[in-house]
Amino acid sequence: MNAANGPAIEIAGLTKSFGRSVALDGLDLTVGSGEVHGFLGPNGSGKTTTIRVLLGLLRPDAGTARMLGQDPWRDAVALHRRIAYVPGDVTLWPTITGGEVIDLLGRMRGGLHRARRDELLERFDLDPRKKARTYSKGNRQKVALVAALASDAELLLLDEPTSGLDPLMEAQFQHCVHQAKEEGRTVLLSSHILAEVEALCDRVSIIRLGRTVETGTLRELRHLTRTSIAVETAQPLSGIDALPGVHDLVVDDHHARFDVDTAQLDAVVRRLAPLGVRSLTSTPPTLEEMFLRHYGDEETPTAAAVAR
Amino acid sequence: MTGAGGLLRFMLRRERFALPWWLAGATLLVLVQSTQSQNLYDTPEDLANLRRTLGGNTAVIAMSGPVRLLETIGGEVAFEILAFVSILVALMNMFLVGRHTRADEESGRAELVRSARVGRAATLAAVLGLALLANLAVAVLLFAVTAGTGLPPAGSVLFGVSVAAVGMTFAALTAVAVQVFESTRAAYGAVALVLGAAFVLRAAGDVGSGALSWVSPIGWAQRTFPFVDNRWWPLLVPVALGALLVTAALALLGRRDFGAGLVRPRPGRPSASPALGSPWGLAWRLQRGPVVGWAVGLFLLGAAYGSIGESIEQYVADNPEVAQFLPGGAADMINAYLALTMTTLALMTAAFGVTAALRARAEETSGRAEPVLATGTSRATWLASHLSVAVGGSALVLAAAGAGQGLAYGLTVGDANQVPRLLGVALGYLPAVLVVAAVAVLAIGWLPRAAAVVAWVAVAYCAVIALFAESFDLPGWLRRASPFAHTPQAPLEALTATPLVLIALVAVVVAISGYAGLRRRDVGY
Repeated sequence: MNAANGPAIEIAGLTKSFGRSVALDGLDLTVGSGEVHGFLGPNGSGKTTTIRVLLGLLRPDAGTARMLGQDPWRDAVALHRRIAYVPGDVTLWPTITGGEVIDLLGRMRGGLHRARRDELLERFDLDPRKKARTYSKGNRQKVALVAALASDAELLLLDEPTSGLDPLMEAQFQHCVHQAKEEGRTVLLSSHILAEVEALCDRVSIIRLGRTVETGTLRELRHLTRTSIAVETAQPLSGIDALPGVHDLVVDDHHARFDVDTAQLDAVVRRLAPLGVRSLTSTPPTLEEMFLRHYGDEETPTAAAVAR
Repeated sequence: MTGAGGLLRFMLRRERFALPWWLAGATLLVLVQSTQSQNLYDTPEDLANLRRTLGGNTAVIAMSGPVRLLETIGGEVAFEILAFVSILVALMNMFLVGRHTRADEESGRAELVRSARVGRAATLAAVLGLALLANLAVAVLLFAVTAGTGLPPAGSVLFGVSVAAVGMTFAALTAVAVQVFESTRAAYGAVALVLGAAFVLRAAGDVGSGALSWVSPIGWAQRTFPFVDNRWWPLLVPVALGALLVTAALALLGRRDFGAGLVRPRPGRPSASPALGSPWGLAWRLQRGPVVGWAVGLFLLGAAYGSIGESIEQYVADNPEVAQFLPGGAADMINAYLALTMTTLALMTAAFGVTAALRARAEETSGRAEPVLATGTSRATWLASHLSVAVGGSALVLAAAGAGQGLAYGLTVGDANQVPRLLGVALGYLPAVLVVAAVAVLAIGWLPRAAAVVAWVAVAYCAVIALFAESFDLPGWLRRASPFAHTPQAPLEALTATPLVLIALVAVVVAISGYAGLRRRDVGY
């Protein structure tokens, strides 16, 4: 849509506290126009607070936030016509049906596509005639998703949108996000489901305790991590443990398993080649591992090395 | 039944805030009535006068109870208050049982409990035990307050137990209703319908032959004739019915799935009507039930007040002491009476206005305001949409009250002009009502967490000033702070535009100040 107009979201040094508890502590976040951006962090790390600031519901204590080139607090109403939002914990009006909620939210946002709405209802297998009171968490989430996806919004703010969906619906959701991306829309997808983020996102920001700890493309982030190698050679393996960047080495004569810092991969492969490689499997690092590194302090490389 | 004891203890803990208020309300109601009646009719002649004036007034009998109760002063207290305190206690029981059964099941809390080592019937048994304790407390408190104010102990015991019996009947009835209906609201609706029918049936019975009173739980309580005949046997009916209802509830519970009822809810609209396309449409849709309910309720109450208007002159002529409670004294009696009752109706409308304004805050704390504010709806529009219900709804409710009073009074005196006249009088209170609602907005803007408390204190304050300022001799500045003090006491005084416009202006300024607070604060906190 307006891919050339600079980033869709630009947050710098954002701070927000509620009483004595600090929710955001100098958060930075940049989401490029047209990209699907993963927003990762454990519960309570500040994902929802960030999104609420972007919606103009919360007033930041310090720092700046711009969305689609406008100020989320001052220009809230103008901005809201260009975005769609799915809350993490969807609460609906108990006596109003799901279909009515979808239409209501769509109309208040400035219209929704009738055909796409019906297609989405089909896709998500949602009965629009039921009163919201009787919906399960997953169904309430579907109501909010259909309302958001059936709109014309340039930017989708999705706060853990799949936490109540089953794997089948999760696949439908991924299809819809791909579609949105093809249409040139920007998506901020907050999540703690790593497989989802790996499958969908161009770039990822990981936050913890209200601060951004890592940001980049999946490839860039993987660069910071290790690759797992399983190798079988013709000659007995030796000297691997002396190489820099090799961890958790298990050698069994001709077989070896180890992790290697991705930066040192080239040196290790050169050392292995003269030994006559019979088979080699290398597993790229998953976000899971990155996640553990950020949130499991005892898993840091130095600690692991000392333990050995 | 496994685990019922533990659940009962847990329920008592959950009830430690709500239940005492209900009990205090019932006790206070009887305390005020008992002292007031004994002050007003302290001689047998006064009581005989009252019997003569009220004995022939079907409207009063329909609103209160059987005339036989007017034989003694204790009976007079029961005549005036037993039906109303019974309704209050019945509602207390309905909410008590509903809250711990179907509401918990709907929210999913009960699922956690049922997954523990707890029998299927344990919750029902525990909640009925809780209701039994609560009704026992009602009986003891009402005995204490009637006997304590000097009424005979034998009648006091029966009075308390009779009210408790009504309560227990409705607890058992609610226990059945929550098995039948899938939603708490539907169950409450059904029980409230029965309660309304119980009141209407006893009214028809007391006015007529008395036979219809015997199909009403309130009728059974009144027909023990406490302080007059002191007969206990009518209470055998609620005991038998209660046992039957509890058995039915247990049988139904054993046959239904968790979370399901016997009546399946009807499917609703698959898409929204054109009316539901804006925050305004949403606010009115959410509150149309309450608006209609309040309008109907105050129409009926207005009609009840209006219907006794004619006999008031006669009544006050016989009981000059009553005149001191009316502004304007014995002169211009009927207008004073209409002004006082209209003030009462307007105060109730203020309570409605506050609930309508506080709805905005409830939407906010429940998280439902968030998706609305994330669309192209500004905070000003969002707040205004809920306030439109407070303003428009209050006008509607006041108009209904005025129309009811005008219609009933006009019918008794044969004057159709009373309808537009009292309608105008009622709407004269709208600015004062809006000031109270505006105070709720002010609190929502600046003291969101305390908004409900602040708003209800404002209502209570206005009520105390309007109804009791004369008797308590309150300082002038405290009296003048109430918007009702500046509203002309029509029809006793002439309605003039200037004070009404000024009061309305105050409401607007206060509401805008509230919005100024909302505009700059976080939403949802």
